[in-house]
Amino acid sequence: MDFANQIILIAGLLFLVSILASVISSRIGAPLLLVFLLIGMLMGESGPGGIEFHDFPTAYLIGSLALAVILFDGGLRTKVETFRVGLRPAVTLATLGVLLTVGITGLLTALVLDLPLIVGLLIAAIVGSTDAAAVFYLLRAHGLELKQRVGATLEIESGSNDPMAIFLTIALVEFIVGEHTSLGVGLAVEFVQQMGIGAVIGLSGGLLLQLLINRIRLTPGLYPLLAVSGALLLFGAAAVLEGSGFLAVYLAGILLGNRPLQSAQNIRRFHDGLAWLAQIIMFLMLGLLVTPRELLEVAVPALVVAAILILLARPLAVVACLLPFRFPWREQLFVGWVGLRGAVPILLGLLPFLAGAEGAAMYFNIAFFVVLISLVVQGWTVAPLAHWLQLDVPPRSRVVHRLELDLPGQAEFELVGYTIEADSPAVYKMVGRLTLPENTRIVTVVRQGEPLADACDDILQVNDYVYVLTSPDRLPALDRVFVAEHGPARLEEHVFFGDFVLNGETDLDDLAGAYGLDIPDRKDSDRDLNSYLLRLFKNQAVVGDRVRLNNMEFVVREMDNGQITRVGLKIRRQAGEKR
Amino acid sequence: MIKIADLITPERVVCDADVSSKKRGLELLSELVAERDSELQSTAIFNKLISRERLGSTGLGHGVAIPHARIEGMPSACAAFIKLREGIDFDAFDQQPVDMLFSLVVPEHFTDEHLQILARLAEMFSDVAFCRQLRDCTDDTALHGLLVQWDSGTRGD
Repeated sequence: MDFANQIILIAGLLFLVSILASVISSRIGAPLLLVFLLIGMLMGESGPGGIEFHDFPTAYLIGSLALAVILFDGGLRTKVETFRVGLRPAVTLATLGVLLTVGITGLLTALVLDLPLIVGLLIAAIVGSTDAAAVFYLLRAHGLELKQRVGATLEIESGSNDPMAIFLTIALVEFIVGEHTSLGVGLAVEFVQQMGIGAVIGLSGGLLLQLLINRIRLTPGLYPLLAVSGALLLFGAAAVLEGSGFLAVYLAGILLGNRPLQSAQNIRRFHDGLAWLAQIIMFLMLGLLVTPRELLEVAVPALVVAAILILLARPLAVVACLLPFRFPWREQLFVGWVGLRGAVPILLGLLPFLAGAEGAAMYFNIAFFVVLISLVVQGWTVAPLAHWLQLDVPPRSRVVHRLELDLPGQAEFELVGYTIEADSPAVYKMVGRLTLPENTRIVTVVRQGEPLADACDDILQVNDYVYVLTSPDRLPALDRVFVAEHGPARLEEHVFFGDFVLNGETDLDDLAGAYGLDIPDRKDSDRDLNSYLLRLFKNQAVVGDRVRLNNMEFVVREMDNGQITRVGLKIRRQAGEKR
Repeated sequence: MIKIADLITPERVVCDADVSSKKRGLELLSELVAERDSELQSTAIFNKLISRERLGSTGLGHGVAIPHARIEGMPSACAAFIKLREGIDFDAFDQQPVDMLFSLVVPEHFTDEHLQILARLAEMFSDVAFCRQLRDCTDDTALHGLLVQWDSGTRGD
């Protein structure tokens, strides 16, 4: 009994420390995953914790489970709207991109370190997949929001490239231990089979799971569990049938996250927590597993691999894959740099062990070291780089408190709360006379802890708390009513988008007439601003895209269904005009 | 660079105007701008202003709008300013009612100048403290004084 209690005590302590560490991590801008990993290492055999943990099969099992949960949650959060600009580049990166990255890294690693080609390729495959969760956590911690094209590409890529890296690693390990004799046609067939079965099971199973959740009546607390058990079932089913379980759960997650689902908010919130738990468990465990002393022995080769991967292979692969999509160079540079490596490479580093390959420890230790370097070097620079390349857009909402409501049979509504600050545009205005966006209603005003009986005739005071019922797409408009603009000067709305707003359907001739503009590269088919800008941005325009005409800048401000509805007009001040 | 003082005269500033709609607001501004030059028909100016509004509201947000247009035969740049007793709906992107309107009318050949003055006006009205001062004004002369002052104030640019 004593032993069990000690384990519980240590586990509780580990979780507590990890969760509290997140506060410090966002303060100093360090990637949180790095912190979890370090805590695991400190608790391990070489640190003060002194816990010995060398059970590789168990570690792989727990890691796979955690990864399945994380991918399912990633799918739930992926919005199908972002597929418009992100899907094709992301899928290209997740397939061809991984292949190129692995090929280049493997070849150069073998060459530089004088290793057999197959060993170089295996090392490269192990570190081949990216992790976007870390990227988005970092950006959010800095209060940055990425332009949709870049954000969606990175997010979908990282969700969908794990199956590819896993597949390559397994195939190469099997080849090394002699299960495959060649790396030719058989491999291609197996790839198609893995992905095909994974996709079919993920999509059909996701549909069935949605049907089940919507049909069945349960205690509310059980819906999220139903979802997660369904996800694990799909993972297992796909894997047993020789398909990719990771692809299956990711696709099922996307399906559930984008279709009407009973208790959707409940499920989402639960999975948010569960994904955190999975991240913590996985990284703590991987930190415990490694022997830091052995890491030092592979320091040189690991540095070589990391340098090749980060500085050459990833940027080259990204440029090659994004070529047909003609991303602006800033965005290519960013995607090329932000190939952050997370838990998956470490997890894949276990595979040679499990297969009993020769020198298996080396793969694991190199993978571990590369992830550490990537988290430190890339992780720490992500937010400043996004800022420097001007890929961030003004945050869409500054709402203080959001409570999403699950009303059966209702369109989506949220209950949001605002604290009235001294500089709020709404302060000292009469509640009933505020100009609110459509589809929003003030529910109540709380003043000094007391809800006001009839707020309509009241004048808003500083420190009042206003609750508003709204649909989520009205949030930006609602923010303008209650919150004064703060934040980095470059991202203040009028600095970023310009002072004036034009409609997307503005006739180009009228626009040219109003300002005496010459519109360059104009085609006959360009009647209005929308069609002109869409063509300039190859039909992949996103909010924040800008084009310069004469002394003006046009900035895409609002989009709806792939069409540009609002365009900011920004006037460039001439330096010579200063007195 | 053209100063605000060169654009506006005390006669073209109206405090606490009673205007009930966007159309009426633009009409009043057109009349004020046209007054100086009898050749200029206020309707011509009004038509230009209203057709500019069709491209997108000239509301800047926070209750301010800068209707503007280039007009053929205009001898020089000219502006008018009205502050309304009650805000009117101006289709501004923030959907807030507009209670301060500054209209700018320039000769047709003013293309760059047009933009530079607009940028300057937008900068002026993005000054929150300044807008509060304007809203606290109770007569035309004081309003005019504030507008002219902003330009020659201590701002070092």
